[in-house]
Amino acid sequence: EEEFRWLLHDEVHAVLKQLQDILKEASLRFTLPGSGTEGPAKQENFILGSCGTDQVKGVLTLQGDALSQADVNLKMPRNNQLLHFAFREDKQWKLQQIQDARNHVSQAIYLLTSRDESYQFKTGAEVLKLMDAVMLQLTRARNRLTTPATLTLPEIAASGLTRMFAPALPSDLLLNVYINLNKLCLTVYQLHALQPNSTKNFRPAGGAVLHSPGAMFEWGSQRLEVSHVHKVECVIPWLNDALVYFTVSLQLCQQLKDKISVFSSYWSYRPF
Amino acid sequence: MRTSLQAVALWGQKAPPHSITAIMITDDQRTIVTGSQEGQLCLWNLSHELKISAKELLFGHSASVTCLARARDFSKQPYIVSAAENGEMCVWNVTSGQCVEKATLPYRHTAICYYHCSFRMTGEGWLLCCGEYQDVLIIDAKTLAVVHSFRSSQFPDWINCMCIVHSMRIQEDSLLVVSVAGELKVWDLSSSINSIQEKRDVYEKESKFLESLNCQTIRFCTYTERLLLVVFSKCWKVYDYCDFSLLLTEVSRNGQFFAGGEMIAAHRILIWTEDGHSYIYQLLNSGLSKSLYPVDGRVLKESIYPHLLCSTSVQENKEQSRPFVMGYMNERKEPFYKVLFSGEVSGRITLWHIPDVPVSKFDGSPREIPVTTTWTLQDNFDKHDTVSQSIIDYFSGLKDGAGTAVVTSSEYIPSLDKLICGCEDGTIIITQALNAAKARLLEGGSLVKDSPPHKVLKGHHQSVTSLLYPHGLSSKLDQSWMLSGDLDSCVILWDIFTEEILHKFFLEAGAVTSLLMSPEKFKLRGEQIICCVCSDHSVALLHLEGKSCLLHARKHFFPVRMIKWHPVENFLIVGCADDSVYIWEIETGTLERHETGERARIILNCCDDSQLVKSVLPIASETLKHKSIEQRSSSPYQLGPLPCPSLQVESSCKVADAKFCPRPFNVLPVKTKWSNVGFHILLFDLENLVELLLPTPLSDVDSSSSFYGGEVLRRAKSTVEKKTLTLRKSKTACGPLSAEAQAKPITESLAQGDNTVKFSEENDGIKRQKKMKISKKMQPKPSRKVDASLTIDTAKLFLSCLLPWGVDKDLDYLCIKHLNILKLQGPISLGLASNEDHFSLMLPGWDLCNTEMIKDYSGVNLFSKKVLDLSDKYIATLPNQVGIPRGLENNCDSLQESNTIVYLLSRLFLVNKLVNMPLELACRVGSSFRMECAHNNMRSAGNDILNMSSFYSCSRNGKNESHVPEADLSLLKLISCWRDQSVQVTEAIQAVLLAEVQQRMKCLGKTPVNSQPVSMAENGNCEMKQMLPKLEWTEELELQCIRNTLPLQTPVSPVKHDSNSNSANFQDVEDMPDRCVLEESESPGEPRHHSWIAKVCPCKVS
Repeated sequence: EEEFRWLLHDEVHAVLKQLQDILKEASLRFTLPGSGTEGPAKQENFILGSCGTDQVKGVLTLQGDALSQADVNLKMPRNNQLLHFAFREDKQWKLQQIQDARNHVSQAIYLLTSRDESYQFKTGAEVLKLMDAVMLQLTRARNRLTTPATLTLPEIAASGLTRMFAPALPSDLLLNVYINLNKLCLTVYQLHALQPNSTKNFRPAGGAVLHSPGAMFEWGSQRLEVSHVHKVECVIPWLNDALVYFTVSLQLCQQLKDKISVFSSYWSYRPF
Repeated sequence: MRTSLQAVALWGQKAPPHSITAIMITDDQRTIVTGSQEGQLCLWNLSHELKISAKELLFGHSASVTCLARARDFSKQPYIVSAAENGEMCVWNVTSGQCVEKATLPYRHTAICYYHCSFRMTGEGWLLCCGEYQDVLIIDAKTLAVVHSFRSSQFPDWINCMCIVHSMRIQEDSLLVVSVAGELKVWDLSSSINSIQEKRDVYEKESKFLESLNCQTIRFCTYTERLLLVVFSKCWKVYDYCDFSLLLTEVSRNGQFFAGGEMIAAHRILIWTEDGHSYIYQLLNSGLSKSLYPVDGRVLKESIYPHLLCSTSVQENKEQSRPFVMGYMNERKEPFYKVLFSGEVSGRITLWHIPDVPVSKFDGSPREIPVTTTWTLQDNFDKHDTVSQSIIDYFSGLKDGAGTAVVTSSEYIPSLDKLICGCEDGTIIITQALNAAKARLLEGGSLVKDSPPHKVLKGHHQSVTSLLYPHGLSSKLDQSWMLSGDLDSCVILWDIFTEEILHKFFLEAGAVTSLLMSPEKFKLRGEQIICCVCSDHSVALLHLEGKSCLLHARKHFFPVRMIKWHPVENFLIVGCADDSVYIWEIETGTLERHETGERARIILNCCDDSQLVKSVLPIASETLKHKSIEQRSSSPYQLGPLPCPSLQVESSCKVADAKFCPRPFNVLPVKTKWSNVGFHILLFDLENLVELLLPTPLSDVDSSSSFYGGEVLRRAKSTVEKKTLTLRKSKTACGPLSAEAQAKPITESLAQGDNTVKFSEENDGIKRQKKMKISKKMQPKPSRKVDASLTIDTAKLFLSCLLPWGVDKDLDYLCIKHLNILKLQGPISLGLASNEDHFSLMLPGWDLCNTEMIKDYSGVNLFSKKVLDLSDKYIATLPNQVGIPRGLENNCDSLQESNTIVYLLSRLFLVNKLVNMPLELACRVGSSFRMECAHNNMRSAGNDILNMSSFYSCSRNGKNESHVPEADLSLLKLISCWRDQSVQVTEAIQAVLLAEVQQRMKCLGKTPVNSQPVSMAENGNCEMKQMLPKLEWTEELELQCIRNTLPLQTPVSPVKHDSNSNSANFQDVEDMPDRCVLEESESPGEPRHHSWIAKVCPCKVS
């Protein structure tokens, strides 16, 4: 019982402090606005390419959680014609995944700061519940980064991203940007229209992170089919760090939970 | 969907944990609603004197509740909406506890506002939601479907909090929100309704950065229509609504976190903190009138400053823990209070009554406002401790006399009707579940004591944490095996019949959290294996035949969430809480692979037969399973009227095949998260009971003698007869009165005449048969008898659960005497299921919530005051039906008893079905019902229909030309009306039961007369007056019953006459001869059985 009290009073806070430090570090990567004194978040350029071909090349500029600039070069396979698109000057594209992950982390930090050293934990259950809440936020943050949204082709076509380019994207091109683990990914879909009387049986494709050539969909009154898919990606180093921090802090949380439950199970049957 | 399931909760002494995460008071200040981390909602009754008492728990969410809000204009419909961590949303009816609508959306809400604009909006209004997604979602309040969203053009981000501003001055409703990043945004509400309905994007009108993070609340001052209060976790600020200029900032002191605030009057602000303190400030003007110094931020800032008037705080107690969720309710209307309320993680609710004009002490120091009320769930359980005993307390009390054991795990075996309870001290108790339930619920424990004794298994030294009965999952395994795991990671294999330990497994891996069995298709060395999940995240595989541990997988870092089996390659796939997957080779015990992320998900999805380790509340899936099984097995019954023999076959099939036999009675152990406090739910399947009870007498007949078969069969149908009789009776009673009665076919009346002659003989014959039957019954019955008696016992228990004990003392006495059922120890906690996985359970002490009931009926098992009115109405509609209990039932106690029970149950079932039936179905069923009955009731009932005024009867009339028994139709009508008046099912059932029981019990005394010549009966009833039954009368009645068991007619004594006149208060004098005649016309050869089944079957179809 003495030991348990020590655990509650000292050990828990030590772990919480550690957790906070780690998460603060993680949140720094996300450049939380308002948390520091920095003005506009610094811009980072990422050059996206794939090792094999150089059909698609993209330079994306990330400013915090938003894409502030994008330059996409596309070499058409047929006629070797080079196409170039860039974001309109006044537009930014929020990367929802980064924003959500950042918000989840700040929620977790908020939960931890509300129980600083001055706070006395009275029961083990209290710690367990706090840990559960923190872990929920962290798992969500991590999942936001590791699992990109599965979109259907019409959803991609309808998204604001395709409308942000100058000159406007040709109607046979679709574009999608997302985060997968620590990588910033850009996919370009080349489309061709299906003849209305074509013998191919039309089956609209469901949602997917990356659609494969041959996927069909209906957009407007047209039936379209994906003819080529280009995917380029680039590692964002700070996302990698953040993911590592998430994993470490999740393990810390779990260890603390395990310690508490060992005691509580032997202690008594009443709510620990 | 089946709705005939009735649930009764058996709570333990400990209240289930309820860590409050959201709290609100309904607009009528009668109910407090709390949402908990465990996923349940609790409804608390708030009396006029501001006393709190918990009323019921609402189950449905499988994750922590994040927010609660009003979902309708509360004066019209008492609906609230709740949202959970995993995206579930539910709309609940607060008065009935039913789930009205549910949906699961991929959004997690943290705040919901109800918005309705009556003159611009069709439908029920919107739920404006914000949470862990960008901007504000608009959800339809009725269907819970996403309508559209309010978008922001700049800095889209999560929204922390919002409020709706109704400004009288500019005649426009606005939505004010503050985002996670501290951005204040304003949307026009009322003027953008059309755009939203046309799915056009609506962008914010204004946007301003507030320079603080973690916004908790934003509130508009409706008194001045000028000030805007924004509470952040570290400070609170007051803005001018006109230009959003900052007027005041107050930073928190000594590390407190603000949690919310409210404008309680003009220039008066209430702020509360996360640790349960609150402060009332007066905003003082420094004397400089604002208009003199226009548009100068600095001057404005100085012009107001806060002055602390009052404060509140909670008493320090041990279990208190952060965070507190608080709210404030401001009502200016008179009977209402200004209430500040808070809910704690420990489940405690505290109320403060805020005075209309809060003032500081004379010396200017802040005054402390005392706590008005405080209450927890446990208080409810302590106060009503007789009601809140767990199912096993009775037995453990017998065992050691002092101190009851705490049940830490339990398992119900339906095939044996056994309840296994693992206790905190390591013992395992095995009892007959029905007996345990009876002992717990009913008065008079002596009757239970001579029941088969319970077994106590001793082998564990630590508290038993999990139990498994393998035979229940796969019939191939030994029926005697039972597994139990304890805190010390010791797993014992028991023989439950011999009570010996077959084997002990020592795992050395912490507490055993759950025991699972591999699916039937997965076999290792020809045997299914047991999988045992321990608290150190390890998984052990046990082979029961070989009594060996095959594999102990110990490499998992996180708790095990899912176990899957790969039958082909002998892999065990373990899914952990961190979404990683471990694949173990069972034969060699080696770790094959470890995967995380996307690939892990694919692996988990590819094997379909998953076993969820941690289902938060097993109850939902359990009821679902129960229901689906029943659906399957009961389908043959939906074919319509079946001839008797096939029905019998059907029933024997059911008994034989225990696996698919829908049980009329079931016990569900329920455990809650984060603690081992559990309770049990008894499930009664009304429909199944009725089905089972009907064939029971038939089987008896078969086993005893074939000679009497035909005759007794008819008697078994006595319930049937009763109904058809009543139909006939009522019709004739009505017939002569109305002009159209002449339209009655003459042949019919002729037949009546003929039958009268036969009447007495027939009656005698039946009686004689019965006599024989009794003697047969004394002989030992085959094994099926056990099942039959069990069903009867179940039915009795069910009836005693429903009867409103204590309303009428005499009635109670009669019920105990004649139905041979026992009185309840106290009001029971009834459950109400609104669909597969949403239901509510009453809490101990719920009966004291209805304030008007306290005076008259304390400790009475009355669901609501309404029941009495309803049952009065019910009686009023069936004055002609009083003669139901005929001589048939009066002959032997046991038979009469069971017949009565069957009758009552079938009645209840009918009511249950009717009330639950959706409106559009009502007419259809009604008509089909009439079709079925048509061949039995060729008489025109057009006159009856004329008597009816409601549109129900009209629609019936249009669809089908008459042929409707008047009494039943009027009953149908009445009950249908109840449904429209949103009378709860339980209320309706109890009302009908009360009415029927009253009728029957009061008629019991009269029945002997009926079996005598008609003239006698007439005489007896001539002087009949409206008098209540007396106790001495019941004694008389007993005498008569005894006499009646004699084979032939009993001599008539003057005493009897008196008794009759007393009792038959609802009889119509003129009715008597008619009725007897009618009974005649029904008697031999008529397919009465059909009619009865016909009546039940169409109801089932729905």
